[in-house]
Amino acid sequence: MFIDVSDLRKTYTSGMIKNEVLKGISMKLGKGEIGVILGPSGSGKSTLMNIIGGVDRGDSGKVIVDGIEVSKLNDDQLTEYRRDAIGFVFQFYNLVPNLTVRENIEVVSNISKSPLNIDEVLAEVQMHDKKHRFPRELSGGEQQRVSIARAIVKNPKLLLCDEPTGALDFQTSRSILKLLQQVNRNFGTTILIITHNTAISAMANRVFKLRSGEIVDEWVNQAPIPAEGIEW
Amino acid sequence: MVMVLNKRLMRILKENKLRYLGILVLIILGSYTFIVAAGLSQNLAMLVTTFTEDYVQEDLSFSTDKPISDVSKLENTFDALIEEYMSFDAELSDKLTLRLLSETKKVNIPAIIEGRALSGPGEILLDPAFAEANGYPIGSQIKAEGKTFTVVGFVSLPHYIYPLKNVNDIIYSPKEFGVGVINREEFSDIVNSANVYSVKFNDRTRSLNRQAVELREHLRAKGLTISNWIDIMNNKRARIVWASITGMKTMSVPVPAAMFLLSSLIIGIMFWRIIRRESVIIGTLYAQGYRRRELMRHYMAIPLVLAFAGGMIGSLLALPSIEPMVMAMISYYNVPVPGIELSFLNVMIGILTPMIFLGLSSYMVIRSELKKSPAELMKGDKQKAKVNALERAFKLERFKFSTKFWLREQFRSISRLVFLLLGVTSASVLMLFGFTVLNSMNHVFKTSDVYLFEYEYTFRDLQYGEAPDGAETFNAGKFYPENNEEIEFYITGIEPDSTLVILKDNKGNVIPNNQTNITKSLANRLGIKAGDTVTFINKEDGNHYTFHIDAVADSYMEQFIYVPIDEFNKKMGLPEDSYIGLFSTKKLDIPDEKLSGTKSMSELPEAMDEFMGQMISMVALMTIVSSIVALIILYLVTSLAIEENRNAISLFKVFGYRRREIRSLILNSSTFVVVAGFLIGIPVAVASMGSLYGYLGDMINLVLPPIVSPLYVIISFAAIMLTYQLSKWMCAKNIDTVSMSEALKAGTE
Repeated sequence: MFIDVSDLRKTYTSGMIKNEVLKGISMKLGKGEIGVILGPSGSGKSTLMNIIGGVDRGDSGKVIVDGIEVSKLNDDQLTEYRRDAIGFVFQFYNLVPNLTVRENIEVVSNISKSPLNIDEVLAEVQMHDKKHRFPRELSGGEQQRVSIARAIVKNPKLLLCDEPTGALDFQTSRSILKLLQQVNRNFGTTILIITHNTAISAMANRVFKLRSGEIVDEWVNQAPIPAEGIEW
Repeated sequence: MVMVLNKRLMRILKENKLRYLGILVLIILGSYTFIVAAGLSQNLAMLVTTFTEDYVQEDLSFSTDKPISDVSKLENTFDALIEEYMSFDAELSDKLTLRLLSETKKVNIPAIIEGRALSGPGEILLDPAFAEANGYPIGSQIKAEGKTFTVVGFVSLPHYIYPLKNVNDIIYSPKEFGVGVINREEFSDIVNSANVYSVKFNDRTRSLNRQAVELREHLRAKGLTISNWIDIMNNKRARIVWASITGMKTMSVPVPAAMFLLSSLIIGIMFWRIIRRESVIIGTLYAQGYRRRELMRHYMAIPLVLAFAGGMIGSLLALPSIEPMVMAMISYYNVPVPGIELSFLNVMIGILTPMIFLGLSSYMVIRSELKKSPAELMKGDKQKAKVNALERAFKLERFKFSTKFWLREQFRSISRLVFLLLGVTSASVLMLFGFTVLNSMNHVFKTSDVYLFEYEYTFRDLQYGEAPDGAETFNAGKFYPENNEEIEFYITGIEPDSTLVILKDNKGNVIPNNQTNITKSLANRLGIKAGDTVTFINKEDGNHYTFHIDAVADSYMEQFIYVPIDEFNKKMGLPEDSYIGLFSTKKLDIPDEKLSGTKSMSELPEAMDEFMGQMISMVALMTIVSSIVALIILYLVTSLAIEENRNAISLFKVFGYRRREIRSLILNSSTFVVVAGFLIGIPVAVASMGSLYGYLGDMINLVLPPIVSPLYVIISFAAIMLTYQLSKWMCAKNIDTVSMSEALKAGTE
């Protein structure tokens, strides 16, 4: 399996209060698949994604991504892991405001060993004609497209998307999901999407339902539908 | 309601304590500099003015070949006080000269600053610096010219405030020269003493120059030959003190103004950021019924408290330092100190000015945000961000990513860019200013390669014939340009094949002495260049003489025009082989009664070393202060940049940027602005130097070259860059503490 998480636990302590966010999560996702983690706020889905992405650590358990045991990496190795293997797409895009569209993509291509051609990536996300604009001059959907372009320019093994449509309207959300599907298809990128929108699970190969730090349900989608067909 | 809100103020200050501390230090420096510089210049000016008025400083002095027969009639004719005094240079040792002056009653009245007045023969009043330097306390005895005097007190003289031996000297050394006042009767058995007349005109409404010219013409008409005519405006002994006063006065405005301006700029930027960051909170408070003025009062509290605290601390530190500083300057100048005045007005200005500066800048920033509607404010700052003209104007495609990032970072906030540029330029100017003064002085005093003689002897009367072995003859006259009697200088006839006066051009090539040459300092003052034909008036005979200037010599030490002595004598109508003085490489055996003055060049280096020592301390102090200012500015800008980039830094970490890559992107973004600020500082320093020097030229007849030496530029640049590195090092930790979760949670709060 491309992602293999077993018995992952995580507790946040604030003063005297302990909050067990992940209570022994185990999950698997195959290479080139789209996985969706569904769950309400506070279910631990972002924490799970952060640990898989190497920006946080679990307290116990194992996280293996493409054969790398992420849970055993030290800080410097985690940096290299994120640098080489992971692409991030955020709910609020997180573009650097004083860099143009193209420069925002360069932020990542600049540190990649073998980045894709920026103009081709921009064409892929249909933002080539707006490459000299600043994020402030773009709509939410356009900003998310740039964010996806930035994530895929390094040709990551795994694309982690945290509520990628959470801040967008229905039409725009659908176009973003379509774009993610297209990236998955064209580049063979494994994608893990976390969302509270159950409708999105229709486009996934595997779905994991999280509640209060536990996977309460998971299923394999034998026939994922194209993003255009998703309704909510 | 507002009281509860105000609990945040201390928390806001604590959150960014180093940053607010930096602003506080800038304000303290501003207030301190203003109160000290203004207090120093005002007190010195008051002391000098009171002294020169109360003790009747002369308007001019001169000597004559024959005594003036009826002084009181002359006084009536010219409505002036005229008093004759005696002067004699007693050699106490090879290197120590005491100028004995007779006590006067009407003009240049001696002011007893310690001890008592003269009561009889065998008593002397000494210049206190000379007494201290050579160990003559009150009650001690001093032997001069075969007589023994008891020191009964210390004295200040209005015409010897800065007791220079020669009126054209620049540096005074109490270890080599001093003045003492004795009873006039003591001169009865001192041969070869000089008689000098001091004049003070009573009519202060008429041009003093005009009155002086009339007096001189009258004396000439009476058949008197006048020598050593010195107007007070050209008398460095009396005027050089005004250089310090002017210097202090000049510093009392721009330096504090720059500090206050920088503080208000940065506080404006910081408040703009705080307000924007808190716009949702402000909108919410508005929506809940807070009034605009309540919020205004809340946000204005920090800059006003900061300005008030800075102003108060600056003033409290400055007030006790004024007296010791005045006393330190007075130890350099000889002026009685009846008391030091501390100005309440200055303290008020020192406190209120930063409050006005900071208050205004914050008010404008806060007001522009507070006038928006609650709904608009509650949307937060995301929608409001606009692309500024600079960001849009530059096409940066051809640069590599890091360069693009650095440039974008600077263009993002024009006010921050202006602050950084202004700050670095100000610090560089301050630093270069100190070094340039040092360099100018160095250049001026670098005379060893121009004047190769050891002694300069000036005779009372014209001499004839050949110079003794190892000596060269010269003749000289005092001149002034047409329409400007305030600038006076010597035209000196020297031997055309002189080997003791070696003038060089600015490329270091020797200029022949068989032509008319002008020193650079005088050329600058008169606006003359090589090839000009100029007419001057001889101060002694009042006639016009025309000279063709062949070359400008790169010498600043003195203001001279050199012509071949034969030509000089011919032009002045003097006998062909006549001369008034000798330059000599060795001591000559000339009877004292034949001489009116002797100058030893070896006295200069020691006095110069002492003076340069003080200069170096001053420059070191200026370098330290400007480094502190630069450090504060760079720290403020860098920490602001880090705060503005928290999300980007967090994002870089998420993307797998290494620590040093992030540090380089964020911390090095100011490098080219720092370098640009420094480069801008160079011409600004030269220009401000030029204008200050021009002023000094007018004020005290001292011309300095504003020369920026490459070595000092490199030293200043290194100091600025070192400060920059230090500020980066101080801020690096702040980058490391930015967590990845900031980017991950961005927009979700």
